[in-house]
Amino acid sequence: MSEVLADVGSGEAVRLVSVPDGDTRARLLRLGFLDGTVTCRHHIHKGPVVVRRNGTDLALGSDLAREIEIERPAREASD
Amino acid sequence: MEGCHSTGCDPEAIDADATLALVGCPNVGKSVVFGELAEQYVDVSNYPGTTVDTTLAEFGDYQLTDTPGVYGISAFNEEERVTREIVLEADAVVNVVDATHLDRDLFLTLQLLDMGIPTVVALNMMDEAEADGIDIDVEALESALGVPVVPTVAIDGEGFDELRERIPAADAPEETAIEEYYDELPDDLDVNRAEKTLLVEGDEPLAKQVDVGGVMADGGSPALVEPGLREEIYGQRRSRVQSITGTVQDVTRTDDSLAERVSDLMINPLTGTPIALALLGLIYYFIGDLVAQRLVDTLEGEVIGPHYIPAVESFVAGLLPEAAWIEPLEFLLINENLGLLTVTVQYVIGTLLPLVIAFYLAISVLEDSGVLPRLAVLTDRGLNRIGLNGRAVVPMIVGVGCVTMAVITTRMVGSKRERTISTALLGLAVPCSAQLGVIMGLMAGLGLIYWFGYLGILLVVLGVVGLFLDRTLPGQSEALVTELPRMRMPRPGNILRKTYNRAKMFLREAIPLFGATAVVVSALDYVGGLAAIQDGLRPLTSLVGMPADFGQILVLGLIRRDFAAAGMTDMALSSAQVFVGLVVITLFVPCILAMVMIFKEQDAKSALLMWVGSWVTAFTVGGVLAAAFGVFG
Repeated sequence: MSEVLADVGSGEAVRLVSVPDGDTRARLLRLGFLDGTVTCRHHIHKGPVVVRRNGTDLALGSDLAREIEIERPAREASD
Repeated sequence: MEGCHSTGCDPEAIDADATLALVGCPNVGKSVVFGELAEQYVDVSNYPGTTVDTTLAEFGDYQLTDTPGVYGISAFNEEERVTREIVLEADAVVNVVDATHLDRDLFLTLQLLDMGIPTVVALNMMDEAEADGIDIDVEALESALGVPVVPTVAIDGEGFDELRERIPAADAPEETAIEEYYDELPDDLDVNRAEKTLLVEGDEPLAKQVDVGGVMADGGSPALVEPGLREEIYGQRRSRVQSITGTVQDVTRTDDSLAERVSDLMINPLTGTPIALALLGLIYYFIGDLVAQRLVDTLEGEVIGPHYIPAVESFVAGLLPEAAWIEPLEFLLINENLGLLTVTVQYVIGTLLPLVIAFYLAISVLEDSGVLPRLAVLTDRGLNRIGLNGRAVVPMIVGVGCVTMAVITTRMVGSKRERTISTALLGLAVPCSAQLGVIMGLMAGLGLIYWFGYLGILLVVLGVVGLFLDRTLPGQSEALVTELPRMRMPRPGNILRKTYNRAKMFLREAIPLFGATAVVVSALDYVGGLAAIQDGLRPLTSLVGMPADFGQILVLGLIRRDFAAAGMTDMALSSAQVFVGLVVITLFVPCILAMVMIFKEQDAKSALLMWVGSWVTAFTVGGVLAAAFGVFG
């Protein structure tokens, strides 16, 4: 099974590869969070995950974080 | 004006009544820009058919309109629908862009240009961008976008002479990269470029409208285009944004600012929880104690009570002729429970007005400083369990100040489902500060153990009812998706303007409602309705082990919660009875003002269910407690 955003710890950089809900996906796309790697700023235990892309911080609820599939970029390819 | 050709509007109409909309993402300084441009305030009002407020003002020959902050033109929520509507009708747009978030904000800018809306970009917060090590080539950005770009620092009033000068040059490129997608639409569609753009992006309200107009939509489906197209277009627009930011912006970011460190402290539960509790304490002290208790008591007890009410009473009595037929009218105007000119005025001016102002002050500070979304992050996990998300933390805090006000703030919490749950919980188990003051006084005589018991019971009821509503209401709760704007010192001018506008709007809506309610309740009182209700309550009062005159307390509680609690101070009751009585009147129906607001904000059926539910819960819990005390004590 692929990893989800809820598995990501603070400080890690990941790509959000699959967001199930169409509207949520469009909202994340619009904000640029699907363009490349995002950094996990905070992950509150069993709570929301705060991710950052280009200086914008976005908090995503834990239910949503469990549904968003992620990929860890290979070290040399990370931007 | 120059940019008008693309929307095909009548040049003669413009001088008379052209609209200029101020559009931008949340927290980019739109309202400060609005304040700078506005020459004369016209109005604050709810956008027709919504609970979203918009501000209008004059700017030269334009009618200037503020819009709710959005990240794009679409219809994901009520704010977006309002902004979308205003943009579609606007003759030109000032797009306020945060220079520190160019990559995020240009999506909206490019979307406006794709729609062919004549636009001027106000590149705001240039000072913060500089401090952050972000260098933006304004000329390069202007030529990349093809419309005027004016750097501004709104809070210092910098750049506005140029902005005012260039607004008439608002423009949109003749053609943008979205053009290639227009082929996806049926040929015979009679729509303009803005509508075409929204239609290929799968805009549902517009698709329905076009459908009603007699143009086809296959199988009644509201979408005119394939479902995946929106994402393709958004993706294409994002790559355009990235290529622009890549060329015009040079970032040497210095991350660890003070604001950043404060933000980290607020979000980390270990440090954030004490900070949040301290903030809540401060807000409670300000709204619940300083204003709701001291100021309101002074106003009611020393100004309105001894001076205003007797004066009005003697004035009305002197004005009206002595006659039997006039007596009902006199009763309506000046009776002691809810007279239209006496007690109603006392509530509105003496109680509500100070609370409304205090509350809007506090909420505006929390909003402008960026504390609010961080509180939401902190409380999200707990609120998830009762079918809410972190955004519901606001009404819950405000509720302890004043439930009536809190009912309005449920507008912030997201979907209708969440609004219903939070409103029901507010009406049921959140005691307002007025009531809490009297309750604390009564509890002081009982001892600390009762106080904890009281709080414990309220929390259990809150949890159980929340769980129950979460399980039974249709649909699913929305997950928290919220941006955390940079934390900053709020600007007093902005806070005061917001507070003034919001308080004005609230009172304009609330006063007629409360007046009408007062007349109805007084009429009921006059024909003996209230006394009949009191008699009818006998079985219930005995169920919770209270004497018959507790019925009178309940009748008072229907009107105002603290009156009920205050009424109990004069009754001879055992400790157990005081405890049960206080729990019952806390869970009992919210005050009549709160109830009127609930009816206004919710549909009548939900509001009525909440009201009846409060009776059922109050007497079930009261009955169980009374029985328990009967067994153990």
